[in-house]
Amino acid sequence: MVLAFQMAMENDLVVAEMVEATEFPELSNQYNVSGVPHTAINFGAGEMVGAGPAVHLLGEIRSALKEQE
Amino acid sequence: MDKMLNESIINQLGEMFAEMKRPVKLLFFGSSPENCDYCEQTWQLLEEVAAVSDKVSLEKLDVEEDGDTAKQYKIDKTPAIVICAQESDQLIDYGIRIYGIPAGHEFGTLVHSAVLVSNGESGLEPEVKTYLNDLKKPVNLQVFVTPT
Repeated sequence: MVLAFQMAMENDLVVAEMVEATEFPELSNQYNVSGVPHTAINFGAGEMVGAGPAVHLLGEIRSALKEQE
Repeated sequence: MDKMLNESIINQLGEMFAEMKRPVKLLFFGSSPENCDYCEQTWQLLEEVAAVSDKVSLEKLDVEEDGDTAKQYKIDKTPAIVICAQESDQLIDYGIRIYGIPAGHEFGTLVHSAVLVSNGESGLEPEVKTYLNDLKKPVNLQVFVTPT
């Protein structure tokens, strides 16, 4: 899980938040979190379900940013 | 209240924190108990963690009473923990936050991120670093977890 945190260290533009899903059910529902870990990218523009290597998360970030263009 | 950390965990923490380069400051944002089921427990946990090493310090803030600081760190939920490195009087915020009590598996995440922030090295592969360093737009990652 520390992957998102590792990424945040590389650029001030990257913010990484770990959210305890059961304490914040509204937010979890907003992003349709059903399994964990579930990473919401830019408030729903993209997502990664489950854990994965850094390149996988980067790919999802890349497409989320493209989506927002 | 009973202690949350047992002796064996405290010893492990001591060994991990001994490796830390820079001091770390954990900013805790809470709110009144009726608005926050886990604030009290989270604060107790942080106090026990900080007691292990003088390299870890704490600051207790309240999202209402310290509204300006909460806004500065963009905190909108409680309990929240911001993990910062400290260089002389300056806090270095890498954008790392934990919302909710870091119990179970996430306790490990809290400890590992404190060490990570202290040492200031992400440990990511060079090509991943390059992509992240070149980013021009904000990226927000919300990682949902459960304390199992």
